[in-house]
Amino acid sequence: MTVGDRVVLGLALTLIVWLYARFWGGGAAGDHIQVLVAGRPYQQEDLRRNGRLTIAGVIGPSEIEIRDGRVRFVSSPCRGKQCIHSGWLARDGDFAACLPNGIAVQVVGANARFDAISF
Amino acid sequence: MTVQVTREDVRIAWLSAIAITINVLESALPSPLPGVKPGLANVITIVALCWFGWAPAAWISLLRVLAGSLLTGTFLSPAFILSLSGALASVVALGLGTLAPGKGLSAIGYSVCAATAHMAGQFWVAYALFIPHAALFRLLPVLMTAALIFGVVSGIIAQALIRRVERA
Amino acid sequence: MRSVAPVSILLVFLSGPAGCAARKEPLHEFQFLAFGTLIELTLWGVDRDLAERAYQAVESDFARMHTEWHPWQPGALVETNRQLAAGKPFLVPHSMIPLIENSQRLSLASQGLFNPAIGRLVELWGFHSDDLPAKPPDPEAITALIAQRPAMTDLDLDGQRLHATNPAVQLDFSAYAKGYAVDRAIDRFRELGVTNAIVNAGGDLRAIGHRGGRPWRIGIRHPRGSGVLASVEIEDDESVSTSGDYERFFMYNGRRYHHIMDPRTGYPATGSVAVTVLYREAATADAASTALFVAGSDLFEAVARDLGVDRAMLIDSAGKIYLTPSMRARVRFEIDVAGGIPMGPSP
Repeated sequence: MTVGDRVVLGLALTLIVWLYARFWGGGAAGDHIQVLVAGRPYQQEDLRRNGRLTIAGVIGPSEIEIRDGRVRFVSSPCRGKQCIHSGWLARDGDFAACLPNGIAVQVVGANARFDAISF
Repeated sequence: MTVQVTREDVRIAWLSAIAITINVLESALPSPLPGVKPGLANVITIVALCWFGWAPAAWISLLRVLAGSLLTGTFLSPAFILSLSGALASVVALGLGTLAPGKGLSAIGYSVCAATAHMAGQFWVAYALFIPHAALFRLLPVLMTAALIFGVVSGIIAQALIRRVERA
Repeated sequence: MRSVAPVSILLVFLSGPAGCAARKEPLHEFQFLAFGTLIELTLWGVDRDLAERAYQAVESDFARMHTEWHPWQPGALVETNRQLAAGKPFLVPHSMIPLIENSQRLSLASQGLFNPAIGRLVELWGFHSDDLPAKPPDPEAITALIAQRPAMTDLDLDGQRLHATNPAVQLDFSAYAKGYAVDRAIDRFRELGVTNAIVNAGGDLRAIGHRGGRPWRIGIRHPRGSGVLASVEIEDDESVSTSGDYERFFMYNGRRYHHIMDPRTGYPATGSVAVTVLYREAATADAASTALFVAGSDLFEAVARDLGVDRAMLIDSAGKIYLTPSMRARVRFEIDVAGGIPMGPSP
């Protein structure tokens, strides 16, 4: 390992630590999910209600399952099935997507998700 | 007039073939974000860089993405665009790496540069073109960690490969 | 040329996507006081300079309206009321005209349940002060005022000439002015090129455009807690106005007396705990939420229809929730409301 190697490694490590600090603050439990189709909000579902949901995507229907406060992709017409491999999502901010089908699922926590309150 | 095929050409072709094969195999690997790969095929690129310099390595890297996508039937698909962005980013990073002062970088240093740039490039394009959603950034630290690990591993492999061939 | 620069460039490049996040979330928030409440501005999709300019413009607009329409401090409204009490026709201050004209229309449509002409009653109850009243007024005083039946129909407005045929009329626009001010603020934003924003005047708000890749998410406060009861998503242009018995009230002998007067009885309207209205203009939403609050569950649907309001929710004092059909499709309850919501001990 040269000096240059160590510098590169150090910089990469610093960057990664910074990324965790920046984007992983939080971790509240999920409260509901936001389903996005083609990047736009499509539907919200409460994570307390167990059940399955079929969403029509670009190449076919994807199915997601909500159980015990968690959500996952169950079936999807894509080839790689990466969405299904993402497994169960449970925390605020957790995210899985079936890119070929244009469907994404985001878990949203209960805190601070309103832009304004009417009272 | 015959075309002279040099030993170097043979090596480049051989490396390209291996790179393409790795690419196709890698498409079977799962990842948290569809289409985003940690860049194991960078081993080949690094070896090429150390043997032949930046330009041939860049060529191999881009050829791998192109041929690989044609072989897996993903040409011009989102997966292809992501791979291409990753490859372009890592090629640029390697170019910058060659400017490192003093002894410069070894295979490991180059590999880390390439792998992290590869992941950054893929992520950037995924965010800009496919999922412009703030939640995507939650995946970034994980992806970059994976990229760093794979970068170090493929760097070590590349270094071992180079030493082995040089001894032979 | 060997230097450390290339490696730094590499690092900047690698952190590109991360830096992108900050630049791609141009959300600006401002707060200031006006109309006796907190005004909150939320702007999306503009740079800091424009956001600051828009904020300053809206803040000074609000300051001006706050002074002009103040219910008891010197200003256009106080002057107008003084002249009305004097009984003779006069030239009303310009800024009062739209308030009077619109209120007449809305008062008529709401069967008089929205009635800004009962300023005397509001003052009698002690709500014309920064402090809350200590106890209810003398019932005879209330009866005497109600007998005079001040109404918006007692006002004759011709251009700028105003004349009241009933000396008991005193104007109080607390159920209208905030909403109207919100509408003017939105107009100001649009003039300045801000197309995605929320103007929230103490809970009466209007949202335009959207927030980046998603609609604006508006929470509706639970009337008996501090959490959120329900939420709506707003895209493009819509106002949300809530009238509640928890906004300004005092307790006396175990009973709650709030500030939303029933013009028919002279007492705070009973039967309702909170009303939320969705409508394009905030001014109308503001008046409608007051009118529907006074209407109660019996007249809720009829008055909503007469006002041209199709998205409204009422919670009665038993915790039961009434929704117009269009509102049912829009609102998303954040808590389980199957059997109504618990109201707690207060009547």
